[in-house]
Amino acid sequence: MGEGVETLRRDLRELVHKHVPPDFLGAFTDDPADLEVAQSFSRTLAELGLLCMAWPTEFGGRGATLWEQTVVREEMWAHHEPRGAQYMGVNWVGPAIMRHGTAEQQQRHLPPIARGEVIWCQGFSEPESGSDLASLRTTAHPDEESGGWRVSGQKVWTSYATMAQWCFLLARTSREKRRQQGLTVFLVPMSDPAIEVRPIPSMLGPHHLNEVFFDELRVTEADVLGTVGEGWAIVQEVLAFERVGIARYARVERLLQAAPAALGAEWDVLPEELRSRWARMLVHARRARLLAYRVVSLQAGGRIRPDDSAAYRIAVTRLDQESAEVLMDIVAGASLPGEEGRRFRRAVEDHRRYSVSATVASGSVEMQRILMSRSLLAAR
Amino acid sequence: MNTELSEEAVEYGRTALRAFEAAGGDQIVQDAEREPARRADLVEPVLAELGAWDLDPRGGADELEAVAALCRVAGWWALPYPVAERLARPADSSTDGLVVIAGTGPGGAGGTGDGLGAGDAGLVGYGPAAPVAGLGRRWSTVTFDGGRGIATAAPPATTPRYGAFVTGLVDDPALVPSQASRDGDGLADLALGLVLPCWTLLGMLDRAIDLTRAHVLAREQFGQPLARFQGVQFQLTDAEVERLGVEELAKYALWAVATGRGEAVDDALALRLAILEAADQVFRVAHQLHGAMGFCDETTLSWISRYSQPARRLPLGLSATRDELTRRIGRAGLAGPFAPRREPDLEVQPL
Repeated sequence: MGEGVETLRRDLRELVHKHVPPDFLGAFTDDPADLEVAQSFSRTLAELGLLCMAWPTEFGGRGATLWEQTVVREEMWAHHEPRGAQYMGVNWVGPAIMRHGTAEQQQRHLPPIARGEVIWCQGFSEPESGSDLASLRTTAHPDEESGGWRVSGQKVWTSYATMAQWCFLLARTSREKRRQQGLTVFLVPMSDPAIEVRPIPSMLGPHHLNEVFFDELRVTEADVLGTVGEGWAIVQEVLAFERVGIARYARVERLLQAAPAALGAEWDVLPEELRSRWARMLVHARRARLLAYRVVSLQAGGRIRPDDSAAYRIAVTRLDQESAEVLMDIVAGASLPGEEGRRFRRAVEDHRRYSVSATVASGSVEMQRILMSRSLLAAR
Repeated sequence: MNTELSEEAVEYGRTALRAFEAAGGDQIVQDAEREPARRADLVEPVLAELGAWDLDPRGGADELEAVAALCRVAGWWALPYPVAERLARPADSSTDGLVVIAGTGPGGAGGTGDGLGAGDAGLVGYGPAAPVAGLGRRWSTVTFDGGRGIATAAPPATTPRYGAFVTGLVDDPALVPSQASRDGDGLADLALGLVLPCWTLLGMLDRAIDLTRAHVLAREQFGQPLARFQGVQFQLTDAEVERLGVEELAKYALWAVATGRGEAVDDALALRLAILEAADQVFRVAHQLHGAMGFCDETTLSWISRYSQPARRLPLGLSATRDELTRRIGRAGLAGPFAPRREPDLEVQPL
């Protein structure tokens, strides 16, 4: 990785230590102060040029290397993503607008993302369209009056919709021979009264899951990202970014490594078999990290294929869930007194709740297996 | 950290793969099983052609990577020869090779040749053993606490068909080196002696996946290739994820050995634990998807599977490897960006 990268890691840890309370478990809790921590931390990163460091210089970034980006992903995820929802804007909304947006869209959207001032949500999944995204039904009907469209339909599982200012919306604009054709990406303001958001209570915590209803939402050509009817290619690109975008192994490694110190003397009286499961999880966490590094190496060499990130995703999501079971067993029998003990227990329980979604969110593990098997069994 | 093998090592591996293919490929292990006395003659000339005896795995990263690539090829062809153990021999060539041993007592895994009928012992036994039957008498040994010694290989007590050339190793106190046995070099030997056989096993996993892929593409049932069934696809995919993961761990552990890191033994044990788990899954899937053909001598899988057994059981099997790793790392965990003790400049905030 290199010395520069380790310096960046140190800098990020110092910033987290200084600006993020030790109790922080993510921006999306019942306490509004957590969201403010994330917003404020994002602004701090932006001021230091660290929020969008991966962006090209012409868009205000500094063209960080893939390894620097990896360290940012690791440190942020290990510390409960103190950028809150900003990671989406930075990781893929901004880059998608850079590649496909008009000059006006770039001018309007990129500076607020770069300053950490705006939250985006993603309007993809629908009640009848999960893994089979191309079957979505939200439709943009031509509006003869305005020359644009009127969008009606329902999205679901939309994270951050209650707090987002903008939505990266995928809707059908025409029926074509192939279902992947005739889909269009719109950039729409969530403040429009034609949009209604209903939170879905879940074990993941507040703000993670919402339904979003569109009732005759008026959009125009100026809201289209890229070309009308060719949104599918943009979405595929976006999903590829998202699949390598989360360094889940980093939080697992941090939690596992912190366990003995958190338990103190009680660690030594844990059942031997449990400590052995812990050691095994450490190996699996390292394995997932190295599989992530493999993807980064392939990216750096321009040799990446969709199945390369699939192998990592399969390994890391399984790690998320298996490690959560081991960690829960570790804390279940421990007294964990004091502030640090309480903090560790809360972090483990948070990890356990969130890990349930690991094999479903951002492309289910079954889809990853399909992607990978296609390549594995393809003609050579 | 560098987990990319050099282009030279990768090319050396390709050359070795072709050389053993030209020398008989899958036939080599079959010939050796039929005529055990010929096994050195079947393999050693090819190793000599490849310049393998000039490679020093302790001579730096380049040579170590070349040795690892060669071990991987040995696994691909299930060579009936302890390539990893032979190439890890001491620099002064005072013994025939280096083996990691566990346990004490009389040489196990088939015993010492006394009183056991050929064909009934298999490779599961008691005490130190290694797949070195019939290949020279003197072997350097290293234990899990870094204790070094010299052992003699007992005559094989069973046929290779059941024992895969495993035989007992008898500690010879008269031959124990005079210097202190639990020094740093002992631990370096231990890490090297653990990592190289994992590269051989990795080659076997490569081959098992490759054979299974070819089989499910060719074999038709219900009017279509097995590869069209999602149940088949998913099993093979999960096995491939295991294989890819241990390939990365193998490169990491090799780097740890090459750079002489203090945690190299932990890294080697971590690799061994992961590859033993992977081997369980890969061979289970490979056999299942081959169906009954996979048990038969006419399929290469049957040979690879049988000859993977020594590397999977010796010096320690899966559970014992996990116990050893757990004991060694104690409360400190594995080295890495979030390890509290080993990266003093990178303070990890307590949770």
